[in-house]
Amino acid sequence: MQLTDTFQAIDRNLFRRSLKLMGNRFDISVEARNRAVAEELIELAVSEIRRIEKLLTTFDENSLTNQVNEMAGIAPVIVNEELFQLVQRAQRISVLTQGAFDLSYGSIDKRLWNFDTSLKELPDRDTAKEMVRLISYHNIILDDVAGTIFLKEKGMRIGFGGIGKGYAADSAKRVLADAGVTSGIVNASGDLTTWGNQPNGNPWTIGIADPDSAGNPFSYINITDMSVATSGNYEKFITIGGKRYSHTIDPRTGYPVTGIKSVTIISPIAELADAMATPVMVMGIKVGLDLINQMNQMACIIIDEQQKVYTSKNITVI
Amino acid sequence: MKKICLTVIGLYLGLLAAFSQQGPANDSSYRSRKLKIDEINLVSSYYHQDGERAAVTGGIGSQKLTDISNTLDIKLIRYDRKDRKQVWTGEVGIDNYTSASSDKIDPKTISSASYADNRVYPSFSFSRENEKKGTEFGVGVSASSEYDYFSIGLNAHVTKKTKDRMGEFNAKGQAYMDRVSLIYPVELRGSEDPNAQKRGSAARNSYSVALSWSQIVNQRLQLAFLLDLVQQDGFLSLPFNRVYTEGGAVQVEHLPSSRFKVPIGARANYFFGDKLIIRSYYRYYFDDWGLKAHTANIETAIKLNNFFSLSPFYRYYRQTEVDYYKPYREHKVGSEFFTSNPDLSAFNSHFYGAGIRLSPPGGLFGWQHFNMLELRYGHYTRSNTLQANIVSLHLRYK
Repeated sequence: MQLTDTFQAIDRNLFRRSLKLMGNRFDISVEARNRAVAEELIELAVSEIRRIEKLLTTFDENSLTNQVNEMAGIAPVIVNEELFQLVQRAQRISVLTQGAFDLSYGSIDKRLWNFDTSLKELPDRDTAKEMVRLISYHNIILDDVAGTIFLKEKGMRIGFGGIGKGYAADSAKRVLADAGVTSGIVNASGDLTTWGNQPNGNPWTIGIADPDSAGNPFSYINITDMSVATSGNYEKFITIGGKRYSHTIDPRTGYPVTGIKSVTIISPIAELADAMATPVMVMGIKVGLDLINQMNQMACIIIDEQQKVYTSKNITVI
Repeated sequence: MKKICLTVIGLYLGLLAAFSQQGPANDSSYRSRKLKIDEINLVSSYYHQDGERAAVTGGIGSQKLTDISNTLDIKLIRYDRKDRKQVWTGEVGIDNYTSASSDKIDPKTISSASYADNRVYPSFSFSRENEKKGTEFGVGVSASSEYDYFSIGLNAHVTKKTKDRMGEFNAKGQAYMDRVSLIYPVELRGSEDPNAQKRGSAARNSYSVALSWSQIVNQRLQLAFLLDLVQQDGFLSLPFNRVYTEGGAVQVEHLPSSRFKVPIGARANYFFGDKLIIRSYYRYYFDDWGLKAHTANIETAIKLNNFFSLSPFYRYYRQTEVDYYKPYREHKVGSEFFTSNPDLSAFNSHFYGAGIRLSPPGGLFGWQHFNMLELRYGHYTRSNTLQANIVSLHLRYK
């Protein structure tokens, strides 16, 4: 993806910068007195996201995350408090979602079977299971006192693909709010967080992409101080025997997930919204909805293969 | 005469067949389970538990999190192949309303229907918006049925925004085909009065064209100019309105079968930040029955905090009488048209009062489903002796 770094005035007091960060497009919009002030403020958010990218990337072998992966099955690694707490929070989500969310998702053995659009058939049950043998959040051992993370099995890896963008959005928002920005949006390729109102006093209007026409919203919500994340299979999927399979693999079975086109999670915390979208897709409509319906301050919208829309009980469709 | 009306509008049910909050049969390897308390409250305890300062709230602490549970409305949009936005709306509303004077039509019956007539009004509308061109058009159908009234309505509208999106022209055409049940005063049923011979129901049709221009002058000031042309045909009298002539004879009111009405108005809204809004409105009205009227209205909305607002209002109205109006016992026998309906006489009125609106984040009375309460009180005085106190209560339940 080639994306140039652009800065534009959207309204008299609303400015937006779009650029590539963490391998994704970020759009950072803030309300500010003038262009110069906005540029300076957004720069603060950009450096915060770059700092987080450095910490979480698995593309740089020297990153703290990769040091943990290198030592898998060998020894615990001392990490900083920020990474330790992020992993600790992620573990709570794994327990909550019965392992549908798992930081060690990246341990998938791609030598056995790799998701590719040219695939003609699915692997057999045993091969699929073998492929995901190293995925297990139970084997991510956190030592509170020593401040270490230890991956029990050799070959295990952790990655932040399912939570990092949300964490970065929250952190950028915190930096901006600390600097006095009263309203804005940090949008990390669809995992976004909002605070305050638009300069005209109205809440932010967030469109939810139509899985059949991804550039267009099929619906929208008006929110403030709320985050939204969408996970969908409409960008990467394969069709085998007339059935559509997502690039998301169920860490329990090793099979690609089927049945759901997209899941949108709405919650005050971007990190949680980001982390919950994929597991709901993995768990399926019934179990996923049942989970969200029990939780306070979390809502979801699911669109299935038949384009039918399901919502959690705290959503009103108008 | 003092009159207190209590109106309760609430319990709107948005129905959409394609939507469901129940999932289908489970085909995944995951099972539903009952969550523990800390999992139910994961959002509020997410950072707190780690002793970390809440990133979301800019470090103000997790207790500041906005409650989601009573504020989320999602709106459906569809785009067609030409990238035009389409909005479908379907709604079934059920009202309960009360009126004190309709009981007088037939004092012998115990009229349970008139103090709680149910109104059922299904409606269906479709609109399509071309966001690039700033145009929108739509059509709609509605039906309404009441104790003495049945109506079918058709409407169509077109909207065009200016290039800078600050101005908007809107034209709306409406046609209502109504049937009015003719319910005569009890003493005139079966009498010789030729106007009371009509039985059953009569047609009443209304056609209107409404043109408006709204302009956003700047962030604080919005203006709108409105012109309506309304033509009504059919049975425009109300059969239960009695007219007493000079000699004391009683007849039902008789009015022309056509009426052409023209209201012209302007609105101005001024926003002092988002805490104080002033809305003002002026309208001049005339029709071919000889009625001319002025209306001036000012309303303010003062937002005290996110869930409490106050809105005092004042409306002044004056009108001249219609050509066919004469008060009680002043009509001469033999005029073609006659009415003594005080609504068609000359008068002026004042209406003032205030509303309060509460929408606490945790729901009303600690009940999360009950998320908005609006109470309005108004005092209405009219120069021809009518006085009323109006209390209306608006509740939103989810």
